[in-house]
Amino acid sequence: MLGLDGVVGAVVGGLIGAFIIANVMLTTTAIAGPWAKRKITASFTDRIAVNRVGPFGLLIIVADAVRLLSKELIVPDGVDRPAWDLAPIVITFSALIGFAVIPFGSGLHLADPETGVVFVFAAASIASIGVVMAGYASNNKYSLLGGLRAIASNIAYEIPLIVTAASVVIFAGTLQMSEIVAVQRQPLVTFAGVTIPQWFAIVNPFAFALFTLANLAEIGRNPFDLPEAPTEIVAGFQTEYSSVYFVLLYLGEFIHIFLGGAIAATLFLGGPAGPVLPGFVWFYLKMWAFFLFTQWARSAVPRLRIDQFLNAGWKGMLVLSFANLALTAILVGVIV
Amino acid sequence: MSLEEPGPDADAAAVARAADEMEALVGEHVLSRDDHLNAPGYVVRPDAVQDVLGTLREEANLDHLSCVTAQEYEDRYESIYHLKSYDDPTHEASVVVPTPKDDPRSESAAPVFRTADWHEREAYDLVGVEYEDHPDLRRILLPETWQGHPLSLDYDQERPQIVPLREHANPLEDDQKADEGETMYLNIGPHHPATHGVLHLKTTLDGEQVIDVDPDIGYLHRCEEQLCQNSTYRYQIMPYPDRWDYISAGLLNEWAYARAIEDMADIEVPEYAQVIRTMGAELCRIAAHMLAVGTFALDVYGDFTAIFMYAVRDREKVQNILEDLTGQRLMFNYFRLGGVVWDLPDPREEFFESIRDFLDHLPGSLEEYHDLISANEILQVRTVDTGVLPPAVAKSYGATGPVARGSGVDYDLRRDDPYGYYDELDWDVVTEDGMDNYSRLLVRLREVEESAKIIEQCVDLLEDWPADDRTIQSNVPRTIRPDDDTEIYRAVEAAKGELGIYMRSDGTEQPARFKIRSPCFSNLQTLPEMSNGEYIPDLVASLGSLDIVLGEVDR
Repeated sequence: MLGLDGVVGAVVGGLIGAFIIANVMLTTTAIAGPWAKRKITASFTDRIAVNRVGPFGLLIIVADAVRLLSKELIVPDGVDRPAWDLAPIVITFSALIGFAVIPFGSGLHLADPETGVVFVFAAASIASIGVVMAGYASNNKYSLLGGLRAIASNIAYEIPLIVTAASVVIFAGTLQMSEIVAVQRQPLVTFAGVTIPQWFAIVNPFAFALFTLANLAEIGRNPFDLPEAPTEIVAGFQTEYSSVYFVLLYLGEFIHIFLGGAIAATLFLGGPAGPVLPGFVWFYLKMWAFFLFTQWARSAVPRLRIDQFLNAGWKGMLVLSFANLALTAILVGVIV
Repeated sequence: MSLEEPGPDADAAAVARAADEMEALVGEHVLSRDDHLNAPGYVVRPDAVQDVLGTLREEANLDHLSCVTAQEYEDRYESIYHLKSYDDPTHEASVVVPTPKDDPRSESAAPVFRTADWHEREAYDLVGVEYEDHPDLRRILLPETWQGHPLSLDYDQERPQIVPLREHANPLEDDQKADEGETMYLNIGPHHPATHGVLHLKTTLDGEQVIDVDPDIGYLHRCEEQLCQNSTYRYQIMPYPDRWDYISAGLLNEWAYARAIEDMADIEVPEYAQVIRTMGAELCRIAAHMLAVGTFALDVYGDFTAIFMYAVRDREKVQNILEDLTGQRLMFNYFRLGGVVWDLPDPREEFFESIRDFLDHLPGSLEEYHDLISANEILQVRTVDTGVLPPAVAKSYGATGPVARGSGVDYDLRRDDPYGYYDELDWDVVTEDGMDNYSRLLVRLREVEESAKIIEQCVDLLEDWPADDRTIQSNVPRTIRPDDDTEIYRAVEAAKGELGIYMRSDGTEQPARFKIRSPCFSNLQTLPEMSNGEYIPDLVASLGSLDIVLGEVDR
């Protein structure tokens, strides 16, 4: 990378890469949170949303940043101090770390360990710990309920998520992200001159659907936004956070959505693959598509109740994901 | 104090016969008769309340305790139980219970009618009558620390109600930990996204399951009854009803007062004005139901989502029509005694066109609602068989409106106790038998269709109304002084249910007692019945399906 060799090169390259990726993701989140989310929701619900500050209301991002950062940071009595302070940081950075192994395309790929898939899920799961810390340390019953819900839903849905991802690993025969992307480049069928690549979403749409659902639950979006559940438990684990901590929590949530999108794109949608445009652009668009999907779900789908949600997880998703895994294993074993 | 039933003599005779039959049932307890304009009144001893109410409920089919009014006279306190029949709300009776001034104690009706629980607490709170055998007699609208009873005669309004810190018993205990067991006490509200206003639910939870919920109301109490008692019948009271159920149900509320005073003072309303009233009231009902559906979806969905905004969008169209009609968007103040304040806006064709335009688009919008909510599997999973309210329980709590009709109780004052122009029009009362949150949602959505039918017929009538016969108000004297000691209880079908008003005149131009029977107040009482044993999300959904407006609960 950058023509530098050896340890120095690796370190400098790694730092520069991390800098680029982190900035790309933070900028994306800045666009997504204060601006795009409002605009998207508004178009789903017949409204206009922000349009006064700057072109298309884009400067609302700056206005919001100033507003949020200048607010008082209220620390309630009786919060469990180190845990309460650490939770927003844990949530945000666990999501950012996950991007280390994601191949963005156009050569932007920070690390490519042989166990890339395992690493990305492990990193993403750390966020659950942050949520539980926030819920438990806030000394607030609504936060506690939110934390409990977060634990329950993460256990119930992370297993199907990872088991479904495992079916992709079986298919690709590797845990390495770059290899998984490479396998998906191979042609599946050629039809009237158009070659359809071997994206796993096309090879196994059932697994893709399962993965998307479990992914929604994992990142806590509608209809599975139970850990927050406004109108039921106020704001769940976030209830007591304000100002900068609040920004960090939201940052973490949005980065987590994009990480979810990035994982789905890498495992199922061919990673950065796509015609004409450079790979990075394609990858970026795929992440945004997933973000759009979560916003659509948010506008149109009611939230499940906690017991129904867990039932669906343990009795439905788990069984289906294992069936999918077994079936994939058998098919791969027979064909290959 | 005489039995003045309007209508032919034969009817009056039949009513008198029925009244005598009822008296025969409870004859042993009846001290005398104190008939009200709307119903025969039986004066009974304070220790015979349960007996009399029980007998009347079982033998005379008076199964709806609509309201409990307490008031203080110069020489006595009086509690009035306004009874009705769910099958026929024109079949009424009042049970009047006088209690001595120095010892205002009376038997509670709560063991017979569960709705009496809150109504008697309010009577105790505001007037000061004490009820024996009451399950939980404490203040309900005013804070626990309040001194005196504001609607009693000797109450000193000048006296400041400042409570020093040491005397201020905190209604919330510092530590709500249960001595044993594993329950958690949770305050939902007064400020909470799901309470639609300032309502405080004292909730006991086992995990996420609701063991017990105790609604704590009164945060929005604005002395509406006393305000009306200090205002003149003719002009000053009419603006207040708009402020009870302020969710665009203003005209429906105004009609409650208009109906009561017009019956009391024998005021005729021209037919043309009745049609306008009917149309305006149904427009209000659509607006109110739209918001109810939208916020219910909000409670179940959990965010300001599409369905909420769609409902608000369609409600906005109704609001524009109402603004054209009344000149106001929220506090209409459009009704007058004997009619309405002004005629339809000019040019009339344009106004009719805008209503027809709205009605043409309504079926499409409703289709959209059904696609998004009632046909949505997840919403069905969430709402079917949750918040179950069996009809018998609903009746015992005096539930009315869409809440009762969602439990299969076929009760709608527009049809059963007709007023305005309703009995001339072709429409149906909507009921659903599901008894759950989903049924209440469906009832509201279908009632919007029925209201649209009514409005369409009214527009047809108004379009063809001869130009020389458009009387919008009858001749009403400048001051109204009903005869001394005339009492009346009249109710209309408001957006949330039976909105009744009891008035007693003392010969002046202001009512001596003005009591509001709020449908939300009675409906909210059913909440613990619905949600005990269910999850918090179901509690929130049930609360949304009750469609309460705190302005009307607390008055």
